[in-house]
Amino acid sequence: MSLVKANTYQDASGGSNAVFSGVASPPNSMGFRNRIINGNMAIDQRNAGAATANTISGYTVDRWAVSQSTSGKLIAQQNAGSVTPPAGFTNYLGVTSQSAYSVAAGDYYMIYQMIEGYNVSDFGLGAAGAATFTISFWVRSSLTGTFGGSLQNNANNRSYPFTYTISAANTWEQKTVTVVGDTTGTWEKTTNTGLRLNFGLGVGSTYSGTAGSWAGSNFISATGATSVVGTNGATFYITGVQLEAGTNASAFEQIDYGRELIMCQRYCYVIGGTASFESVGYGIANGSTAVNVIAWAPVEMRVQPTSTQVGTWQVSNASTGFAASSLGVQTGLCGKQSIALGITSSGLTGGALYRIEAANSTASRLILSAEL
Amino acid sequence: MYKLQNQTYMGVTTQAVTFTSEDGAYTTIPMVPDNTDYQQFLRWCEEGNQPLPAEE
Repeated sequence: MSLVKANTYQDASGGSNAVFSGVASPPNSMGFRNRIINGNMAIDQRNAGAATANTISGYTVDRWAVSQSTSGKLIAQQNAGSVTPPAGFTNYLGVTSQSAYSVAAGDYYMIYQMIEGYNVSDFGLGAAGAATFTISFWVRSSLTGTFGGSLQNNANNRSYPFTYTISAANTWEQKTVTVVGDTTGTWEKTTNTGLRLNFGLGVGSTYSGTAGSWAGSNFISATGATSVVGTNGATFYITGVQLEAGTNASAFEQIDYGRELIMCQRYCYVIGGTASFESVGYGIANGSTAVNVIAWAPVEMRVQPTSTQVGTWQVSNASTGFAASSLGVQTGLCGKQSIALGITSSGLTGGALYRIEAANSTASRLILSAEL
Repeated sequence: MYKLQNQTYMGVTTQAVTFTSEDGAYTTIPMVPDNTDYQQFLRWCEEGNQPLPAEE
């Protein structure tokens, strides 16, 4: 190996247009080469590895949602089936079909991630010169054949269906799809969905289109793609999902767990589940029946979040716990990082300071959601 | 079923939307335009539905 040092490079005519051949451009290793958050399915704040209910729609591992037009056809779970992930990964998202369902024209079953506009604004979608980008992922299914997915804009009126082939059952395979960016349509570039990535698991003809080109339609998958929900017990496992600018799939961008978690927490922040008296913060009694409290999110959330109180919470003065209910965000006070909450109790002293805490239970949690 | 909630602080009252799911989880949605849960609530209202009124 040689070390070359120089102050000036000139081309053969003495100009400043010297071309360097055979020199690999360094990857965007300083951050966010992969526009997919939690592409390795490692973070699961809501479910902590448990299966999602087979309801119509909802979030499974962080940033990844399941949608089904009729409930009960599939469930999703981090590391479902406990198979060995592909080399370099320790987690995957697993979907299992709950029946042998014949998909009707208007049906849709899928997993998806919506990427915030800020995070793909440099792709320049919707205008001449839109970037070409590449999706790569590891996938494993009990089924083989042609599978489908799509990319969409926020309004779901621009879609790019794509296909990929799973050749061997129950075997991890890496797939790559390269997409020339859409030069028309409206593409969000701030806090709404800038780009949506769908993986179809059974999509009817209404939402299926021709693979390989952009269309002014709401297409979730490609025509003729395999239906996972069509086979009872069929599995579809996926991990290592990466979406990056350019025509080639680079190695999966490994990010330390803390930064990946913070990126997830812009969209979902869960308090509780670790300690029996875990607290959202201290608040001041507003009269004898209510307490106002601020919970600080670790990062500015995308929007003032929805709150969901799970389990029992209480108001405490460190010696007495007052039963409480209705822990929730307050519209007029809530910011994107200083999350104003109110909680209802009784027997409090107006103006006194109280601790808002789980009522001696690690099952008590507060879920703050600012998802797209 | 959605229910409105009055929230008063320093004499100023604002509203939020609440609902309790079958498993007892209690959800509060701030009335802010970019919150997708609030957008879903508005679509539900546009379909002709009405939330339960707020308690006085």
